[in-house]
Amino acid sequence: MTTVTSNVRKQTIARAMAEAIAQEMRADPRVFVMGEDIGQLGGVFGNTRGLFEEFGPERVRDTPISETAFIGAAVGAATDGMRPVVELMFVDFFGVCMDAIYNLMAKNTYFSGGKLSIPVVLMTATGGGYSDAGQHSQCLHATFAHLPGMKVVAPSNAYDAKGLMISAIRDDNPVIYLFHKALQGMGWLGTEPASIVHVPEEAYTVPIGKAATVREGRDVTIVGITSGVHHALKAAEQLDQKGVSAEVIDLRSLVPLDREHVINSVRKTGRLIVVDEDYQSYGVTGEIIASVVEADISMLKSPPKRVAYPDIPIPFSRPMEQWALPNPAKIVAAYESMVK
Amino acid sequence: MTPTREQKIWMYEHMLVSRYLEEMIEEIYMEGKTPAFNMAAGPIPGEMHLSKGQEPCAVGVCVHLKPFDVVTATHRPHHIAVAKGVDLNKMTAEIFGKATGLSGGRGGHMHIFDPDVNFSCSGIIGQSVGPAVGAALSRKLQKKEGVAVAFLGEGAVNQGAFHEGLNLAAVWKLPVIFVIEDNGWGISVPKTASTAVEHNDIRAQAYGIPGHYVPGNNPLEIFRVAGEAIARARRGEGPSLIEIETLRMAGHFMGDAEQYRPKEELAMLKARDPIVAMRTYLMTVDKMSEAEDQEIVTRARKRAEAAIAFAKESPYPRGEEALEKVFV
Amino acid sequence: MAVDIIVPKDLWEEEVEGVIVAWLTEEGASVRKGDVVAEIMVKKVQFDILAPAEGRVRILKKADEIIRKGDVIGRIE
Repeated sequence: MTTVTSNVRKQTIARAMAEAIAQEMRADPRVFVMGEDIGQLGGVFGNTRGLFEEFGPERVRDTPISETAFIGAAVGAATDGMRPVVELMFVDFFGVCMDAIYNLMAKNTYFSGGKLSIPVVLMTATGGGYSDAGQHSQCLHATFAHLPGMKVVAPSNAYDAKGLMISAIRDDNPVIYLFHKALQGMGWLGTEPASIVHVPEEAYTVPIGKAATVREGRDVTIVGITSGVHHALKAAEQLDQKGVSAEVIDLRSLVPLDREHVINSVRKTGRLIVVDEDYQSYGVTGEIIASVVEADISMLKSPPKRVAYPDIPIPFSRPMEQWALPNPAKIVAAYESMVK
Repeated sequence: MTPTREQKIWMYEHMLVSRYLEEMIEEIYMEGKTPAFNMAAGPIPGEMHLSKGQEPCAVGVCVHLKPFDVVTATHRPHHIAVAKGVDLNKMTAEIFGKATGLSGGRGGHMHIFDPDVNFSCSGIIGQSVGPAVGAALSRKLQKKEGVAVAFLGEGAVNQGAFHEGLNLAAVWKLPVIFVIEDNGWGISVPKTASTAVEHNDIRAQAYGIPGHYVPGNNPLEIFRVAGEAIARARRGEGPSLIEIETLRMAGHFMGDAEQYRPKEELAMLKARDPIVAMRTYLMTVDKMSEAEDQEIVTRARKRAEAAIAFAKESPYPRGEEALEKVFV
Repeated sequence: MAVDIIVPKDLWEEEVEGVIVAWLTEEGASVRKGDVVAEIMVKKVQFDILAPAEGRVRILKKADEIIRKGDVIGRIE
């Protein structure tokens, strides 16, 4: 007896991203792709798979290792009416091209009094846990979210990945699209099965700036983004075994940040844990907690907890890296320390 | 500038040490990664960029260097570290992530730092340039001896840091040599698709410094050109640029299936092995006997084996040690 | 009339095993002929496994299982 689930087609986040870009490229000739190894290779992380074969080298352009040039060029092209989708291979490489990102792409609309639109999508790989060390494992959520003028999205699953990419391409503002390497579905980076979900074949959007409750609960609100969401869901399962009902929120976007969604949840549960693989201080966890406290401190039954990366360069050696990373056990321990 | 027999043997032996180490690392790296290639698994996790085929670039340059000379390198550093005299045991332990590693396991294979011989590297393309320029500046300011050598790939030449670094070194007439290892590939993108000129030596003209292109991946030719550039720098005559045609015998990193690389090129790799060529040369021209070769080969293999054994037997650091050494 | 979902015998050259990285469908789901139903990885290369016919999917080998050329990993019913 088979279950009646017709037309379930699952995608990895990599495939979902590539599918979104392809559909938008078919619909709009102004959309084109630039980046390193995004052509014939289909992207080191599989997110431009098939594009070169379908659209050719004019619209799918392998670049030299010249980030500040091609990201600056993306700004120029976008200003002139094109809709570039640009890849910064690892978010950690932002150092060599940050001016083009935060001083040009993020500010030119404002400097022009709103006359200029810069519809760039900058997609970039984040995350560690597989021993790629300090210059290839960072998340840098706070770095990009903190600087004004660019939207920032970060999906935890393939459904959101496709919808957010399509929204990002259609948005007339610059969007930083952060995809976590361990959720990507590339076998050689390990696979997070929960990120591989049903993705509708047609083009659809997921709104930028809206969080989602991915698990309902009553006793504690656990907020996460990308890998943090999966740790939170696993922690929620463990807490459930102990009779604790956890509500898990997937932020999905960092800018705009859906503070209301989190506040409404904490109103219900009274307890808050924020999970973030980015460095702890001056980051997402602090921003969420500050937002909740500012709204109404009296709804909190206990001080909120943060489960984030320590303020250290990411170490290479496996015991050290695994010790430092957020994980479900740390989230469960955080809850237990809240209710002691 | 021609090498003495001793220098030739030195170069040959260091190519061998480097190659044996890479082959042993390659084998151990694959443990735990079959049949499913998960980068996180096994005794050596993470990325691995092997230098097989590029040994001539390292030995042809480093034979002229002393411990007080400074070398900066890239994400593909092992052959250069070996030639510079980096502590082989501690480097290998670092690659394994052990507590006895050069950084206690904090850096790993792309972040090898050995202050005793002034060697460092970075995983960010083009970032070997700035620190080398700075080291050269420091020696000039302190009137201390020493030159700096920055190794980089031909792909890195298209990074802004390269152009800024060369100009700065030239304007301040610093004792630094820029050595480009041209293996023809930036991951999957061939040089012809990324670089506006055929050979990067001509870019030196843009900065008013001498530029040389060395074809053939031949340690003896590299010896000659590098020797002249290093001597120039030591005399206070300023920086030079050298581009060396070399060979990437493996993929960009372990896990790279190289489906983008033409089959004819992949088939020819073994035939172009620079170590085989060097052995043939030494036997033919320098009358190296089978016995002498065996001695060198055995010595080199033992050094590599000892380093691997040291790494394997060393303990891991404790997790909490991650918090240490952020500041001095 | 059930049709096997087979790992093609000529999909890769070497005599090595592969692994199922992910099923891109579900037990009992409807697929069309040619839909990508699974991803496998052989050493470092990822391959698509396509549905050989239209129908409902039966999964016989799960994700993370080792597979060889010619293995039947599922069925279309």
